[in-house]
Amino acid sequence: MFKRHKRATATPEVTITIDGAPYQVPSTLSVAAAVLMHQGAAGYRRHAAGGHRAPLCMMGVCHDCLITIDEAPNRQGCLVTVEQGMRVRRQIDEAAATATRWVTTTHAGGDDGGERDDADL
Amino acid sequence: MQTCEPRGTVGTDDCNDRARVVVLGAGPAGMTAALRLAEAGLRALVLDQARAPGGQIYRQLDRPQLDAAVMGKDYHRGRSLVGAFLDAARRGEIDYRPGTRVWWIEALDDALDDGLDDALDDGLNDGHRLGVRGHDGISRELVAERLIIATGAMERGWPFPGWQLPGVMQAGAAQILMKQGALLTEGPPVLAGNGPLLYLLAWQYLNAGCPPRMILDTAPNLGLARTLRHPLRAWRARGYLAKGARMLAALRRAGVPIVRGVQSLAAEGDQRLTGVRYRRRGDGQEHRLKTDWLLTHMGVVPEPQLPRGLGIEHHWQEAQQAFVPDRRDDLSVRPGVWLAGDGGGIGGAMNAEREGRLAAQAVLDELMADLMEKPQDTTANVKGAAAPIPDADNRRAIARESARESAALRRRRRSDLSGRRLLDALFTPPADWVERQPGETLICRCEGVSRAQLKAALEAGPAGPNQLKAFTRCGMGPCQGRLCGTNVSRLMASEQGRDMDEVGYYRIRPPLTSITLGELAGLGQTQDRASNPPPA
Repeated sequence: MFKRHKRATATPEVTITIDGAPYQVPSTLSVAAAVLMHQGAAGYRRHAAGGHRAPLCMMGVCHDCLITIDEAPNRQGCLVTVEQGMRVRRQIDEAAATATRWVTTTHAGGDDGGERDDADL
Repeated sequence: MQTCEPRGTVGTDDCNDRARVVVLGAGPAGMTAALRLAEAGLRALVLDQARAPGGQIYRQLDRPQLDAAVMGKDYHRGRSLVGAFLDAARRGEIDYRPGTRVWWIEALDDALDDGLDDALDDGLNDGHRLGVRGHDGISRELVAERLIIATGAMERGWPFPGWQLPGVMQAGAAQILMKQGALLTEGPPVLAGNGPLLYLLAWQYLNAGCPPRMILDTAPNLGLARTLRHPLRAWRARGYLAKGARMLAALRRAGVPIVRGVQSLAAEGDQRLTGVRYRRRGDGQEHRLKTDWLLTHMGVVPEPQLPRGLGIEHHWQEAQQAFVPDRRDDLSVRPGVWLAGDGGGIGGAMNAEREGRLAAQAVLDELMADLMEKPQDTTANVKGAAAPIPDADNRRAIARESARESAALRRRRRSDLSGRRLLDALFTPPADWVERQPGETLICRCEGVSRAQLKAALEAGPAGPNQLKAFTRCGMGPCQGRLCGTNVSRLMASEQGRDMDEVGYYRIRPPLTSITLGELAGLGQTQDRASNPPPA
């Protein structure tokens, strides 16, 4: 887990729930930071391949911070700031992991001028 | 409503669908560029992914969580810039839109619409069309007449066995947690890798009263001899070197063990990190260490998505071990587009501020030239901040002043960057690191593609990274290849005996950031949150 430094600037707090349990967190935190503070990295989320993952970069690159916020799945927890009453749920069961579907850059081809688009929908 | 409040999207009633100048990113380069434009009475539209300005380096300075005694003066130095930016936004001089993301971008070209293939080379700027997703998940499109890209850098994806385990994080992530909420790991972390940020983080942890357990440094021990091979560079880099020396001395005094010449690294654990293994050059022994936290760093690289998405040419920079976009002297990358800050090659925050100002001046110079030609077109200046149109004498004076300042900025930039080349040399990542990793190492974390799978696929002789992607799904996940792209090119180059420029990189096409079908479907429409789920 992560602990807040004792000399931290006094900062207003908000109450969020993580998997149903309420926690007070500084209002400056991202959802990912709040989860790391109170639950640590273990069990943050399950990858489709089965293993556990936790945020690597905290700046929007790695997508290993994906989490359900107010019932919306697969949000990038490191880019969302906590808000009063926010309901956060970790995606650690298998169903959540395998339901992940992306609209991303899934275009192959292009090395030899040929084009092939794979829609990963 | 205040301009600096997070609002729905660009393109709503209070914002034009066409913007004179759009700045992408609100880090040191983006903020400085917008402020320079505001000085000239030009209200730039600033789009930034974060909820507060500052970029990564000056993150959270609108409400700093730890003082300079812990974070250092360089961080707190950014307070005046962040403050000036927010003040200008509140006064309406900058149209600042936090929490927004550009997920596609294309050059508008009248000739292209007529079906001429080589139209992009006509040297004219017809503007760019951007797809922008607001913080509520609704997308809009917008035309930028001129564009300053200031999307900065990201940490290099640095694979080793077990780097996907919870408990392994990038050093930058740990620093973000400090900035965001004064958060530190419970129990001392092990730090591994190389580069100024690794030692900065170690020093900040030490200042916070939580010295790292150990630093595993992968750099060969070159030290002073290498430094003094380029005395001019050493002199120009003296500020950086002195800072580094002070941090190292503090860490040594505190008894933080620094292991040099680390040649291999592995994270151990089942569902989370429990320890690390490493080998040092020379002694052949495997060392084991129990730890809950491993914070890694192997330098930062330009964030590739936007420049790549625009089709900007890149070249491999051996010294930085990175692909860097081609820029002209005035920081332009194509007609109507400038690239400022670390996104154009790593130069640090001070350099980014200088480049932001230079790019803004280049924009202003162009606008002034337009004004000289056809003043009637520019009388209706940007909404909310109509600048008085200078008369001919004034224009000449302004042009002279601008040229003088730009020349001075360029001189300082050259000198600073030449000093930084020494840092590149001191902190060069091991070029063959990825090739040396064992087969089970994940190269693509998103799709779970290992070094061994890539090696097998490479034997089929793919023409390039895009074909390899089609064979293996490597790079097809939500990070869009940002953590594996360069490593895949590297593996391919070494396996096929080609050079990096010849191998190239993934072709980056929209969406440039992950996006849901709902957002795609909601383009340009007003939808409530319930019917349009937030982004993935």
